[in-house]
Amino acid sequence: MSSQITCPECSALNSTHSKTCRLCGALLQKDKPAKRRILKKLLRRTDFMAAARANQRATQKLVAILFIIAAILGYLIGWSVQLSFNVIPVDASDPVLFFSSWGLLGSSALLFISFIWTWIAFKRGDRIVMKMTGAHIAKYDQEPLLFNVVEEMSLAAGIPKPIIYIIETDAMNAFATGMSPHRASLGVTRGLLNNLTRDELQGVIGHEMGHIVNWDIRYATAVSVMVGLIVLVSDGILRGSIYGRHRPGRISGGSRNNNGAAIVIIIMLVFALLAPLIARFVQMAVSRQREFLADASSVRLTRHPQGLISALEKLGAETVRFEEANRATQHLFIVNPFRNFSEKASSLMATHPPLNKRIQRLRNLGDKKFD
Amino acid sequence: METGSWITIGVIVVAIIWVVSMYNNLVNLRNQVKNAWRQIDVQLKRRHDLIPNLVEVTKDYMEYEQETLQQVIKARSNAMGAGSQEEAIAAEGMLSGVLGKFFALMENYPDLKANENVSRLMEELSGTENKIAFSRQFYNDSVMSLNNGIETFPSNLIANMFTFKPATYFEVPEIEKATPSVNLR
Repeated sequence: MSSQITCPECSALNSTHSKTCRLCGALLQKDKPAKRRILKKLLRRTDFMAAARANQRATQKLVAILFIIAAILGYLIGWSVQLSFNVIPVDASDPVLFFSSWGLLGSSALLFISFIWTWIAFKRGDRIVMKMTGAHIAKYDQEPLLFNVVEEMSLAAGIPKPIIYIIETDAMNAFATGMSPHRASLGVTRGLLNNLTRDELQGVIGHEMGHIVNWDIRYATAVSVMVGLIVLVSDGILRGSIYGRHRPGRISGGSRNNNGAAIVIIIMLVFALLAPLIARFVQMAVSRQREFLADASSVRLTRHPQGLISALEKLGAETVRFEEANRATQHLFIVNPFRNFSEKASSLMATHPPLNKRIQRLRNLGDKKFD
Repeated sequence: METGSWITIGVIVVAIIWVVSMYNNLVNLRNQVKNAWRQIDVQLKRRHDLIPNLVEVTKDYMEYEQETLQQVIKARSNAMGAGSQEEAIAAEGMLSGVLGKFFALMENYPDLKANENVSRLMEELSGTENKIAFSRQFYNDSVMSLNNGIETFPSNLIANMFTFKPATYFEVPEIEKATPSVNLR
């Protein structure tokens, strides 16, 4: 609540409204308190509806970044092709360096390919996941508690009861898959059933139900297609540039045009190096956002954050390794089956947020009383 | 055609698309409320079917509680005979309250709880109670979305034009919320 800022150069006190120090004229650092204010604002969003909305916006922004990367990549390809091969004669007054018709063509072609590819990926179904993890369908007579909990959660979410699978392993984990809420599957491990109380199990099932109602499997599929395309195209550019360097005879046109082409090609190469990296970071960020959202959805369904909190604590303390999971399915599980058991997994490339952060956010939700 | 008339046509087309999408959204919300109510209805029917069996097996043990048993039977038949949705919500709330009282009373009869038939029925009934609670939660969420759509600007204009009516919440009556008192004598 301090109304004054200390100058970093001469340590004189200044009013918060001034941009420079009144004594030495140095720039005053203001971004730190601003950052804290944003953090505070985020933490204050205790009600789960607002949390879910904020999360949806965050994911949409991340997906938009992927589309922009793909569009820029396509534009750069079209642009450099137009300049270096001089397909359409470029006259000096035409600002083709800044507006390339072939560039627009390139970006729309790339976006079109990504739509088609995503559509094909959706069509291919999702049963493979079950086979990959070695899950079998559960029967009501043997697992009445699990069936009741799943049925209660699907009633709360307003969707048909998903097909229930069990993986026979002592590791504790759960996953959900399915291209739509009306044709979904949900799996839990034997270890989870043996070690959790009813309330904790309900929290975990609520989390998986959250993935189903938020269409997360579709999200993940669409995002991985976009990332795959960006990686593929960037790779193609880098390989093509090595091949193309040996054939300079193809490039024609005046010297001004060639210089422009060279600059554009360098920009394109740099972007092709960076784009796959950025795309992967964005993909993992999307995955982490969806985990937070599924946690918030779980609380929306159970109205009982404590159940999921203590379940996550138990899952975090677990030491059994999950042999049946693999890299391709890791993002589906409630906690990452490959997380580092000794230290917290909080890197940029993690599919799941660190457990303590998830628990902290749930505690934050839990402060509010639910009726 | 001039630019002006093209702009006019564009504005009209956008306005029509906007009205249609808002209307469809309201219809979706209304159908969701109807569907949510049907889900509760399934669970309520299940409860109605289970109660006579429970009364049948418990009445010999609980001869001093005839009054409560009569209340349960009466509340059940009231709930089954309810005509409109509002009546049903009130009657089912009553039934929940009386059933809660009945369950609390059963704690006084250890013989009763030892009976396998009774414990199975109790388990099934309390499972159904849970499902009623969760489907009621979804119903109330759906009602909130619909009522928000009807009352907030600008969709309230469309709602008024096509006379969408706000739905009634399924509220828990006071008796059910009250913690049952346990006699430790």
